[in-house]
Amino acid sequence: MFFNPSMKHKALRKALRMFAETEIGPMARDIDRNATFPWEIVEKMRPLDLFGLQAPKAFGGADMDSISYAIVIEEISRVSAAIGLCLAAHNSLSLHPILRWGTEEQKKRFLPEMVRGEKIGAFCMTEAGIGSDVGGVETSATLEENEYVLSGTKIFVTNGGICGTAIVFATTDSHNPREGAAMFIVEKESPGFVVGEKEDLCGMRANPVSSIYLEDCRVPDKNMLGLPGEGVKIGMETINVGRIGIAAQAVGIAQAAFEDAVVYSKARQQFHKSLSSFQSIRNYLADMATDIDAGRLLLYRACAAQDSGNPFREEAAMAKLFCSEMAVRAANKAVQIHGGYGCSKEYDVERYFRDAKVTEIYEGTSEVQRMVISREVLNRRV
Amino acid sequence: MLKLVVCIKQVPQVSELPWDPDTGRLQRELASGIMNPACRFALEAALKIKDKIGARITAITMGPLSAEEVLREAIALGADRGILLTDRKMAGSDTYTTSFTISKAIQKNIPEFDLILCGASTSDSATAQVGPQLAEELDIPGIAYVNEMEIAGSKARVRRMADDFFETIELELPGLVTINASGAVPRYTSMRGFQAAFAESDIITLDSVSLGLSHEWIGAKGSAAKIRRVYSPTAGKENVVLTGTTKRILDQLFMLFDDRIGGMIGKDLKTDKS
Repeated sequence: MFFNPSMKHKALRKALRMFAETEIGPMARDIDRNATFPWEIVEKMRPLDLFGLQAPKAFGGADMDSISYAIVIEEISRVSAAIGLCLAAHNSLSLHPILRWGTEEQKKRFLPEMVRGEKIGAFCMTEAGIGSDVGGVETSATLEENEYVLSGTKIFVTNGGICGTAIVFATTDSHNPREGAAMFIVEKESPGFVVGEKEDLCGMRANPVSSIYLEDCRVPDKNMLGLPGEGVKIGMETINVGRIGIAAQAVGIAQAAFEDAVVYSKARQQFHKSLSSFQSIRNYLADMATDIDAGRLLLYRACAAQDSGNPFREEAAMAKLFCSEMAVRAANKAVQIHGGYGCSKEYDVERYFRDAKVTEIYEGTSEVQRMVISREVLNRRV
Repeated sequence: MLKLVVCIKQVPQVSELPWDPDTGRLQRELASGIMNPACRFALEAALKIKDKIGARITAITMGPLSAEEVLREAIALGADRGILLTDRKMAGSDTYTTSFTISKAIQKNIPEFDLILCGASTSDSATAQVGPQLAEELDIPGIAYVNEMEIAGSKARVRRMADDFFETIELELPGLVTINASGAVPRYTSMRGFQAAFAESDIITLDSVSLGLSHEWIGAKGSAAKIRRVYSPTAGKENVVLTGTTKRILDQLFMLFDDRIGGMIGKDLKTDKS
């Protein structure tokens, strides 16, 4: 067991922090308040290979290990969780399934543009009627000669408003949707692919989360990812990987909240002394620091398990569950330490508070993580 | 192909530097190291030359083993190889022994260099001496505080800001320049570069024995400058709160600060009460 970060991981964190603080930092508050997606940041992230973090070098990717991936998402999210979300959804929910289940032909067709960040990825699973219960998928895929015709509505699609390539979950069998479920790679230009209005969100407001309407959207049959019937498996495995990204995001948000709380508690004077000299506030800071460290260790353990090629479902679920709830606690305490100012949009902790909440919800709610973990726990001999 | 050498120093990142109160030296092991900002600009200037006309860039640093990190970062950004000068006997070097040690390493390992680029000064000690001293040690022309540069044949044409005008100077290669932390904004590290730099890098490590340097000439022993004491500057500050009616506050204000207020408006308020 080795708990010290390697020189590579330390250097990577410094490099990403410098980029995020210099380039994203100055606009992080405005893009949240105005709910605008900063394309100029995408321009700056492209040459740094941030859109191909774990893609093989042959496709122009950086071929990073999972801990490095987590550090990237953590450091970007520490400055702007909405941009961190854009990268996490692109890399782990869109690029990853193509890398893992795509045919050579599909990889050659779709990966280069995505890895260069010319086409941003989105993952379309959720529908009005299905969230965690994906077996009830209603979006239909009907084979007509050598094309599938997709019909249905996907909601809460992260990167929806900016995506170039979407991974779409649909079923070829409306009577047995689970058995007929399949994944499709759908390009934005496909006829019948319509991006809806973007959601007016609580947090992560700079990410254009939107509905996607599939109005008899026609895609070539060779765009199916994996085999018919493998949709649920591919979806679940993809979300499993995605949980590492969400845990990393949550750690980044918590870290930002903690740092702001430390700075503020030292500067703010009450009763002729700094807030940081009050035992109550010191206890909050000690709890936050411990919480964040525990979360980070769970996160890196899940990453190490993924890197070693072993199953990591339980590790990823634990990391995601703990880190997201931890981020909500940390952001909540950071607001509390800021007092009235913490409720003002003049201070970033208010944004962290809003951004943290959704990490408990997407990629499987905390309740679903507990389902996953308890299933693993109960399957083991004690 | 043009052979460039970029001298890089790893400096502590924290603004609150942890000092050893007994020796007056910085406790580097407590601080997180980063590439000195001006060195980053020097590397960028070298990379610009490489992009334009091609060059082989050697990054060189002297420091503890952990300074290898800035060499890998330089390679991630586009340098071709790194040389790490590390030896406990090199610790405590002043600018004279630092430039002496680096000059020996360059003479031994890159004798055919065309141009050496250094950051103009470091963020931790800010002497701005190592670059010019290195030029003297190697007996080559050196120009400090360069803002922009280009290579034309066997010459480098550099531009720098003097008091209130720009100077354009040509220097014969081989030569040395120190680069200001201004001008072309340094690029960020790409993730591919990063992975490659930490997977397979051409970095050699040299100590005093491999350089053939006597311990009398290097490190704290060879240094003429000894640090007596290091301390944070403090300014005596006092808050004065004036109370009472507006007239009383104004009277007190003039009584206490008439010289400073007078200075600002150009009047001697002690004699001129109007």
